[in-house]
Amino acid sequence: MEIKGEMSMLNVLHLHSTNVKEIADQLEKKRDEVPSFFLNSPVIVDCSLIVETLAELDLAALKQRLIDLMFVPVGVRGVEPEQQAAIIKAGWSVLRAGPKSSKKAEAAAVAEEASESDEVKAPAEVEETPVASANISKLIEKPVRSGQQVFVEEGDAVLLTHTSAGSEVMASGSVHVYGALRGRVLAGVHGDTNARIFCRSLDAELIAIAGRYQLLDEGDTDLRGKPAMIRLDGEKLIIEALD
Amino acid sequence: MSKVIVVTSGKGGVGKTTSSAAIATGLAEKGNKTAVIDFDVGLRNLDLIMGVERRVVYDFVNVINGEATLKQALIKDKRVDNLFILPASQTRDKDALSQEGVESVIEELKADGFDYIVCDSPAGIEKGAFMALYFADEAIVVTNPEVSSVRDSDRILGILQSRSKAAERGDTVKEHLLVTRYSPERVEGGDMLSVDDIVEILSIPLLGVIPESGSVLQASNSGQPVILDKASTAGMAYSDAIDRFLGEDIPHRFMDIEKKGFFKKLFG
Ligand SMILES: Nc1ncnc2c1ncn2[C@@H]1O[C@H](COP(=O)(O)OP(=O)(O)OP(=O)(O)O)[C@@H](O)[C@H]1O
Ligand SMILES: [Mg+2]
Repeated sequence: MEIKGEMSMLNVLHLHSTNVKEIADQLEKKRDEVPSFFLNSPVIVDCSLIVETLAELDLAALKQRLIDLMFVPVGVRGVEPEQQAAIIKAGWSVLRAGPKSSKKAEAAAVAEEASESDEVKAPAEVEETPVASANISKLIEKPVRSGQQVFVEEGDAVLLTHTSAGSEVMASGSVHVYGALRGRVLAGVHGDTNARIFCRSLDAELIAIAGRYQLLDEGDTDLRGKPAMIRLDGEKLIIEALD
Repeated sequence: MSKVIVVTSGKGGVGKTTSSAAIATGLAEKGNKTAVIDFDVGLRNLDLIMGVERRVVYDFVNVINGEATLKQALIKDKRVDNLFILPASQTRDKDALSQEGVESVIEELKADGFDYIVCDSPAGIEKGAFMALYFADEAIVVTNPEVSSVRDSDRILGILQSRSKAAERGDTVKEHLLVTRYSPERVEGGDMLSVDDIVEILSIPLLGVIPESGSVLQASNSGQPVILDKASTAGMAYSDAIDRFLGEDIPHRFMDIEKKGFFKKLFG
């Protein structure tokens, strides 16, 4: 286990083992060295080093341990596409590979695709098979409070009130929040790049669409506190005013 | 119809026990038969604040274990009619509370004709706090004007609306916000969140704002719930909160910096 800061406030936990207790014990020790630094900080779990033995890792237990240790689990990355369903079942979102390994991973994916099929595919098709989300939505009438998670596995999440700091909303489709959006929000978690995020007042801690994520620190957008829509343009998250 | 009210917060030391004592006393003063239960097993504070610590013979855990009857354990308040205290055990740990045990005590109080059953929750979001809130019809969420306290209140609200018995039935627990230890000077100075900020973050109705007041410590040292100190600002603010709880519409007080009058400026 190894923990590195990658962006401000965002730590990446590189797993070397699938033993949750071992990971948690080491992490606790690390955390206690600089508690103020790690307290409530978001972490991404990178599984690229254990991708072969990932099935042995109890991801649900790992998430709970991270929460107990006062971390904010954001998502898992560095996994194979066929592993995604199990990861999402365990309550995690799947993020895209890290900035350094992504090029390599994508090149590998292209190579694999090419060798599997005799036809030469257009690069765009190879890079991303578009995943459309089902055209249904789930209505959430109560606020999503700190420590709570709402996960709409199929379709859009429509929230009538607000989400709190320290909460998480995930949907395979888009996320609509008719109040303040203050927690983490992940749309298109199965890879729908057309998914969008809408909110009446943007105050999110983290935004993600189809695995592309961004932390919203102070000053990252002048739309903070205002109605906003977030969409994906290629690899980039675009935040736009919504009036 | 009996109502179960939990006084809860998540964060420790924000004024839950002070508030439970004041609220139970205030409800009883208005003629409601009221019991207040200390769920903080192992610490036992409520009996001190209520000034009945010398009269504790049996406690909540004794009743749950069948070592005493509820009648034997309930302590009748000597100042206010209709007010009864069920103290916590000092010697056990929180695992001594079982869900069935708590339920049977609450059901017995309901059958005895209690109008209100006030549950003083321990801090945290573990078992003790969960037991205190599980059977609640209404929740008074005690919050201090600081970020960590507001965050913990938010968590407790999430737990209330997802894991309480009412939530399991598909009902909602009625929510009330009680801001305590409010100091307008420190809000003005930017050290503390304002009531408006707290209400905006939590989005639940405001039951009352209790100012920071030396009379709270005095009251607890003399074993008298602060609501009985009719001259203190904290006592008055608790009385107002009770009136609001019972349906009256009264303006909030003690939220602004006290303007020093001419004579106070001269001599004070
Ligand atoms: N309005 C107030 N003004 C001044 N001091 C207060 C006020 N309310 C509470 N206090 C003080 O704060 C301290 C904690 O109060 P109390 O024991 O009621 O909190 P609690 O939430 O029950 O704590 P715990 O989580 O340990 O059960 C006490 O010393 C009490 O006297
Ligand atoms: Mg207490």
